[in-house]
Amino acid sequence: MLVAEVEGLSKRYGTVQALDRVDVAIEPGCTGLVGSNGAGKSTLIKLLLGLLAPDQGRAAVLGYDVATEPLAVRGRVGYLPEGACLPGDVTAADFVAFMAQLGGLPPRPARERAAEVCYQVGLDEERYRAVGGFSTGMQQRVKLAVALVHDPSLLLLDEPTDGMDPQGREDMLELIARIRDELGIDVLVSTHLLGDVERVCDRVVMVHAGQVLAQGSITEIAGTTEPGFGIQLGDNGPEVLAALHTAGLAVRPSGEELLVQGSSDLVRDVAAERGWPLRRLVPRAPSLEETFLRLQAAAQGGPPAPAVPQPDTPEAAWGVRR
Amino acid sequence: MTEATPAGTIYDRGYRHYEGPREGRGRRVRAIAVAGVRRVLGLKRNWKTKVVPFGLLVLAFGPVFAFIGARVLVGEAVGEFLGYGRYLRVVAGLLLLFAATAGPELLCPDRRQNVLALIFTRPVTRADYLLAKLAALLAVVGLIALVPLVVLFVGNTLTADSAATYLRQNLDDLGRILLAGSVLTVFYSLVALAAASLTDRRAVATAGLLGVFLGTSALANILFFTARFDGRRWVAFLSLSGLPGRFVDWLFGDGFDPGTLADQAGFTGPGYLVAMAVVAAAAAAILTWRVLRLRA
Repeated sequence: MLVAEVEGLSKRYGTVQALDRVDVAIEPGCTGLVGSNGAGKSTLIKLLLGLLAPDQGRAAVLGYDVATEPLAVRGRVGYLPEGACLPGDVTAADFVAFMAQLGGLPPRPARERAAEVCYQVGLDEERYRAVGGFSTGMQQRVKLAVALVHDPSLLLLDEPTDGMDPQGREDMLELIARIRDELGIDVLVSTHLLGDVERVCDRVVMVHAGQVLAQGSITEIAGTTEPGFGIQLGDNGPEVLAALHTAGLAVRPSGEELLVQGSSDLVRDVAAERGWPLRRLVPRAPSLEETFLRLQAAAQGGPPAPAVPQPDTPEAAWGVRR
Repeated sequence: MTEATPAGTIYDRGYRHYEGPREGRGRRVRAIAVAGVRRVLGLKRNWKTKVVPFGLLVLAFGPVFAFIGARVLVGEAVGEFLGYGRYLRVVAGLLLLFAATAGPELLCPDRRQNVLALIFTRPVTRADYLLAKLAALLAVVGLIALVPLVVLFVGNTLTADSAATYLRQNLDDLGRILLAGSVLTVFYSLVALAAASLTDRRAVATAGLLGVFLGTSALANILFFTARFDGRRWVAFLSLSGLPGRFVDWLFGDGFDPGTLADQAGFTGPGYLVAMAVVAAAAAAILTWRVLRLRA
């Protein structure tokens, strides 16, 4: 059974089309919802929770229609919102227990479970301190405890590593992986950090400007970008770029190197022909980020990409940016 | 040979799914209401948050307990305390202060700190939230409006030479105490929550509410005593802070102070009760409109 299913969902805020006839199928496991800021990720999550009413389309979560049974959905879903949302002068234990009661737990089990869940997310003795004094990382943990305390079947995490330091981010990603692997809770992680998604998710939904660019398993989607090379040829300047392109290679700059797709023999031939020193040529594995950037560029320049993208010509896939 | 007893127990502190009972809407409303009462009284919070509520509680209960204590020690020779009506008028002033601080405490931080983003992602409707917050404020305002006078009545009864005679002769007063206390509780609670629903800043809500109450009273007096126009006696209803006291005076038969606006306007208690009902209904409408539009 699908964990969540969205059909033809649209939402507009004034003149901004936040989501435009979106179809999404979230399967069991851990799914990443990725897109740049303003892509429509948070809107989609709020629509799944029934916090916003769609302009058109329908959504179902855990088999419940969000429009007609929003309370049933919210009783079974845990949500970690983006940004600050915790009361500053209440202890973590009290607040998590309060939120457990709002999830339907009687007071005593709510307190006991709040203590257990705080411990699980790494808040042990700190849970007796007022939340206002917590670091961003600790506050994210409290929010995760709030999302987990009523034992949901699905977790919706909106930018869970937002504002965290590298260690805190590592810890949070480990916690998310544990939730999926050990607790058997399905997770939908919304983030703009593709590295986070690659670390913990099995599947991904890519959104851009209110439309779905691609969705499917990470291996499948990352694989749509063919392997290539990172090179440093001469000064990597516009002349080099043009020469490689003329030789039939798909090229685009990335930091200090050029990313090239095609035969490495052609790169060698161009270098020999022009007498440019080939200082570096290293193979690059296909990555989610490459795919996302490619699909995003395609969406910006033309019609939206199909839901499951197919690799087309190297030129179309990689483009040439000057 | 005896069986070896285990030296200790190993507890598995791993995550477990919750298999226990789950309660319904009533529990969720109650949880928000109880948390609200705790918040207003400053329970489980730092000592500074307890100063105002407990200070007002001491002011409301202190004289009553002191009087009853004196009656227990000295007997009826202590004489009569302020009448129930007079004491309720004193309490009404405290109620305004209490409601003006408690109402904003209940509603404003949830919006200012964005806690609603979490509350409304549980199976809690806006109506549940409104009901719970109103219940919390009614409980704490009722604590000041009703309990001290009921305690005073019980104290008077128990320390009288004949408790049964006192009870028989003054049972009407108990009814008046319950009626007046309930009316004041509902009036102040609705008005305070309506004011709090208009802003997410506690101080603004408190100052605004007190300003409107005291300002309308001053305006009504200025208009009545300085201006000359037909029907100027109707400005008596403009004074929001005067409405509860005048209703209480009428209910307990204390009469209005001579020379005051209430005395000269010529209206009686039911008129002020209707005025309070109109204000409370308007406050309820504002509150409902604001809370039902809250966004998570």
